[in-house]
Amino acid sequence: MSIENNINPATENNEESYLKVSLVNQSVFIRKKKACPLKDIPLNEINYTNLKLLGKFLTERGKIIPSRITNVEIKKQRAIAKAIKRARQLGLISPIKKELN
Amino acid sequence: MALYEAVFIARQDLTNEDVDALTNKFCKIITDGKGKIVNKEYWGLRSLAVKINKNSRGHYVMINIDANYPAVAELKRVIAYTEDVVRSAVFLVDKHHEETSLFVSSTAKEFKPNYSAKKQQGKYDLILEQFQFDS
Repeated sequence: MSIENNINPATENNEESYLKVSLVNQSVFIRKKKACPLKDIPLNEINYTNLKLLGKFLTERGKIIPSRITNVEIKKQRAIAKAIKRARQLGLISPIKKELN
Repeated sequence: MALYEAVFIARQDLTNEDVDALTNKFCKIITDGKGKIVNKEYWGLRSLAVKINKNSRGHYVMINIDANYPAVAELKRVIAYTEDVVRSAVFLVDKHHEETSLFVSSTAKEFKPNYSAKKQQGKYDLILEQFQFDS
């Protein structure tokens, strides 16, 4: 039995979905690709003065959250990383936050 | 000609008049080097996230510059030996922003303490509130 027979033709045409095939279990998972959370925000808006936006992409300890968790597209992730580093240099964001206990 | 953004942090015990005098001094270096000052912004007396040279607060000033590099290099050199400046940075940018989100007033003399509280919500604030990443 080939794997291709299990694919629903409707999902094949849809650009937003993609297939993830696991060869270990011989089964097919169909997982929808998550949209970028910053798709409505222009690239120009991601800069070191926009502290409200940058704060969303930091952990509690002040580290940058990777894009595999946030699903931000690659161009914007690079812009975020650059902006956070600039803001840290100017004392707008602290580079590290210590635990309270 | 290229576009630059110069940001510097002045020491906390300077008065507002002193900060204006410093910015005018730096602007004159650019205009002497055949450059243009596009915009000036004062971000207020902000508290620093980390102590820099034993300072916990500082006056933030941003200058938008349209000039050739020799004038900017001269500005960097002068800032480096000015003792009233705690930290500074000059960035090369593609486009100047009309008004940044940290904007308080154009000069330190016109400083309004409660400006940021009265400020209206930004364009993209509603979108930003929607997502939250747990780590």
